[in-house]
Amino acid sequence: MKEIVTVQVGGFANFVGSHFWNFQDELLGLAEDPCADSVFKKQHLDMDVLYRTGETQQGILTYTPRLVSIDFQGSLGSMSSHGTLYNHEPTIPSDITTWTAGVSTHTAERHKKNLFLQSLYEEQDRTVDKSGPQGEYQDRDIVESLGKGVEFWTDFSKVHYHPQSLYELSGLWMDAREFDNYGIGRDALSHGLQGEEISERLRVFVEECDRVQGFQFMVDDSGGFSAVASELLENIADEYSNTPVLLYALRAPESYVNLGKRKQTILRSLHDAVSFSRLASYCHLVVPVGLPSLSTSRASSFFCIEDERPYHCSAVYAAALHSISLPFRMGSLVPTADLHYVSGAVDVGDVVRILSGQSRSNKVAILDMAMPAPSLTGKESGERLLNNLHPVTPEITEDVEDLQAVETMTIHGVLGPGGHPASASEVKDTIHAAYEHTSTRPKFCHLSAAHSPLPIPLPFPSIFKNVVGQRGELLENPTASPLLKGSLEVHSVPMAVRLRSSSAILPYLENRLGYLRRYGVDRGAPGAELVRSWGFGKDELEDFGEALSKMINELKPHSEVSSDSD
Amino acid sequence: MSLRVLNPNAEVLNKSAALHMNINAAKGLQDVLKTNLGPKGTIKMLVGGAGDIKLTKDGNTLLKEMQIQNPTAIMIARTAVAQDDISGDGTTSTVLFIGELMKQSERYIDEGMHPRVLVDGFEIAKRATLQFLEKFKTPVVMGEEPDKEILKMVARTTLRTKLYEALADQLTDIVVDAVLCIKKAEEGIDLFMVEIMHMRHKFDVDTRLVEGLVLDHGSRHPDMKRRAENCYILTCNVSLEYEKSEINAGFFYSNAEQREAMVSAERRQVDERVQKIIELKNKVCSGNENNFVIINQKGIDPPSLDLLARAGIIALRRAKRRNMERLVLACGGEAVNSVDDITPDCLGWAGLVYEHILGEEKYTFVENVKNPHSCTILIKGPNDHTIAQIKDAVRDGLRSVKNTIEDEAVVLGAGAFEVAARQFLMNEVKKTVQGRAQLGVEAFANALLVVPKTLAENSGLDTQDVIISLTGEHDRGNIVGLNQHTGEPIDPQMEGIFDNYSVKRQIVNSGPVIASQLLLVDEVIRAGRNMRKPS
Ligand SMILES: Nc1ncnc2c1ncn2[C@@H]1O[C@H](COP(=O)(O)OP(=O)(O)O)[C@@H](O)[C@H]1O
Ligand SMILES: [Mg+2]
Repeated sequence: MKEIVTVQVGGFANFVGSHFWNFQDELLGLAEDPCADSVFKKQHLDMDVLYRTGETQQGILTYTPRLVSIDFQGSLGSMSSHGTLYNHEPTIPSDITTWTAGVSTHTAERHKKNLFLQSLYEEQDRTVDKSGPQGEYQDRDIVESLGKGVEFWTDFSKVHYHPQSLYELSGLWMDAREFDNYGIGRDALSHGLQGEEISERLRVFVEECDRVQGFQFMVDDSGGFSAVASELLENIADEYSNTPVLLYALRAPESYVNLGKRKQTILRSLHDAVSFSRLASYCHLVVPVGLPSLSTSRASSFFCIEDERPYHCSAVYAAALHSISLPFRMGSLVPTADLHYVSGAVDVGDVVRILSGQSRSNKVAILDMAMPAPSLTGKESGERLLNNLHPVTPEITEDVEDLQAVETMTIHGVLGPGGHPASASEVKDTIHAAYEHTSTRPKFCHLSAAHSPLPIPLPFPSIFKNVVGQRGELLENPTASPLLKGSLEVHSVPMAVRLRSSSAILPYLENRLGYLRRYGVDRGAPGAELVRSWGFGKDELEDFGEALSKMINELKPHSEVSSDSD
Repeated sequence: MSLRVLNPNAEVLNKSAALHMNINAAKGLQDVLKTNLGPKGTIKMLVGGAGDIKLTKDGNTLLKEMQIQNPTAIMIARTAVAQDDISGDGTTSTVLFIGELMKQSERYIDEGMHPRVLVDGFEIAKRATLQFLEKFKTPVVMGEEPDKEILKMVARTTLRTKLYEALADQLTDIVVDAVLCIKKAEEGIDLFMVEIMHMRHKFDVDTRLVEGLVLDHGSRHPDMKRRAENCYILTCNVSLEYEKSEINAGFFYSNAEQREAMVSAERRQVDERVQKIIELKNKVCSGNENNFVIINQKGIDPPSLDLLARAGIIALRRAKRRNMERLVLACGGEAVNSVDDITPDCLGWAGLVYEHILGEEKYTFVENVKNPHSCTILIKGPNDHTIAQIKDAVRDGLRSVKNTIEDEAVVLGAGAFEVAARQFLMNEVKKTVQGRAQLGVEAFANALLVVPKTLAENSGLDTQDVIISLTGEHDRGNIVGLNQHTGEPIDPQMEGIFDNYSVKRQIVNSGPVIASQLLLVDEVIRAGRNMRKPS
């Protein structure tokens, strides 16, 4: 199994996606850069899993993400929806070939490119004529300017996108604040051809694939975009029925802001219930990602994050998504014997099978992450690493003992004794040994390991605390500087992530079932009219409720008894 | 483009302020769209914040590209877009008509008249106008073969409001032929059976009708032929790729051998399917020079492609779902979901199949088919915005032909209907109405004139003069439209200017509904979010 097709839907998802592709772009660059750290030279990762090779009409070869991204019209800032590579008409054409009567031109105010984007374009021009002067800006200015303000996800993107990748929804006539629930999103695609156009773009990318291993969905499920995503997923379930879909339901901290009004609470709760029910019904594994307050969570012990800045939070989540995706690209290149660089190749379908279908069926997984992952030196280093994994999935129970838990873990770029990168097999041995000693061992754990750490690209936000060193190691004597570190100080970070199928997810599910019943289904429910206006009949809501109950029952401890008997 | 007529954040205003805000918003939107109307309107080039270009002469597209923030304007825009969804045309006229109804009402309201009275008058006038439309429309007898000339006149009228004359005229024949190709007796017309395909081509603006199908992909094997004549076509929806069995089966390989065994069992199944296709090919192609093409909605993986290529078969994978239907309509045969029982009867036929490559884009032409009931309109243009604009026009043209066939009627254009209806209301209807509701009828009647007036204005003519000469000529008993070159009255019938009956009906219907809602506000409406299409 080979290719993955990525789909990003909605504002925060595209922020996460932008960082995600920046990491990929950085990896590609480092692999070819003679001055780069040697761990990046031999990555043993097949980038073709995520990227496609193409060719412009001028015969220039291109290498771009296999991606469809959907967002509001106007959300691309200074980036053209056609991307930059296949640019056919950079300037306004002087003649209009279809109309001879009058023409009126309406020019929107040009979005100014920030320093970072300016420098990218200069660099591009420089590589064309080689003779140009060195950029006027220092990297430090660029990092500072991004630190001051990022409005669009394109503001910090260094990636070339394919002209068919970026889709803007038009004719909505509302902003993100108003586009805040499932019903509105459902209306958005209900007439016109936009739904079909999006599916068509997806088909074109899938047609190129020889053996597609799965779809990777990043969805901002906090508002109308979850309806847009589920329309698309419905089509995928139909058209590519046996292809696994891994979905990240992403939330920015700002999406949790509660206005305190009861009406608002009902709307939000019903949205959460309906949105989850719909999305979950069309995919094989859902990973909810996004804490109400990432800044104060243990997952960001080594960062200083501003919750209200999607640029910050999305960077952390994107790093985790990157790590999860590594094993998907280990398969096709390496003979399984070569355990030095990578080990534990799985494809999307394998991960789905491991997590959702082993001892019981549960398609909602918890994401834990350690960024940076501690070095594997000294006593009990494996235990230390495990203890550093903290959840970024909301609404879960912290300390739960679940004998049926299964997990997949990816650890990459961790440093071993002497500050050398630990080999994949060393990592495996250490973690297995650590699990031998813990009492809360999962029933099954699949471990993947890779040599190369997460590279930190220039536009990554400056969010590292002082203790983080250049290679993401934790410094014993950090300099007492009040400044946060960014890409200029921290070049790479060792990572550990874990997807966990555990009964710890129960509150997340129970909350949604509760919302659905209390506000939508029960007699005299205050939101009954509202969900009806979203186009859901009573039967459908009851189906959602039943599906949720079933998920919950599977995870409840007592269900073990019944499953043992058959 | 951004339209911010009044502060959209003001939640509640008093009644009179709210009313005036609505009126202003409607007028504001009217002003933006006004210049679009008719064959002398201006085309709009919208340059976005990143330099992206959109080109449109179409009210519908323009509205969708605008960033409208005023809730009243959004409500009007939604009505207009729904107008286009339902009937395929008339967006600009809808916006103008609503704006003008509000403008006409403003005068009376400022004189102290209650909006309710106007709304009552609108209702009377609307019903009378719809009845008048029934008398005024020109019936078109469809019979066995529709009258091609009248279809062409309607299509040409629409297309000439979107594209310059020569281009519009070239497309006229194409859209009429396309609809006639897919029209089957006794069945509704499904315009999706006309595929619209485009190619970006630096120096070429050209549109042609392909009797057959153009697909936006090609075969995926280097040894497959790029051109073949006399082809059997197998249209199918059968997976020819190795897939791991059921994703949620809960099954886990316990060791490598078991895994291997599973893999090879799956592979064998796929190979067997491919083999069945090859057998069919050998059966129909042995002893002749014919070729065999399979077009599959599902995937075909490299090992399967190898087998097929070795058997001399051309194979395309991941075809659009709709193309399954189109292929069968174009080539004959049937779309099969399993290869277990395929027979030669399942196969379609095409005289020629060939591939065309432009950079990374590949196209496959399936042509020279017998008696096709599906076809493709292929648009070539130098850049995306030109292609998009032609595509919009083609869609409008197709809709106008379909509407004509389904309506079995057309309506004289160039303002003729609006002038005649206005005179009817003023001379016949108004006097039958009791009391001040008369003024509502009058406001409605005069609002209808916004169409001929705007057509005149866009042609650089004096609107007063034009209206006087048109109404005068009408009252002498003639049916008159506007000659946009001279401003003189003309007979639209002679000029072949016809609009769709259903489009006109929809405009007359929905305009006053929205205007009435806007007039009867108690407080400012917040943007009507879940507005459904008005019926
Ligand atoms: N040759 C013509 N001379 C005068 N009026 C015309 C001519 N062709 C079309 N029209 C009028 O133009 C109007 C349609 O213009 P158009 O720009 O398509 O707006 P809409 O979006 O409302 O359909 C109709 O009222 C039609 O009768
Ligand atoms: Mg029109």
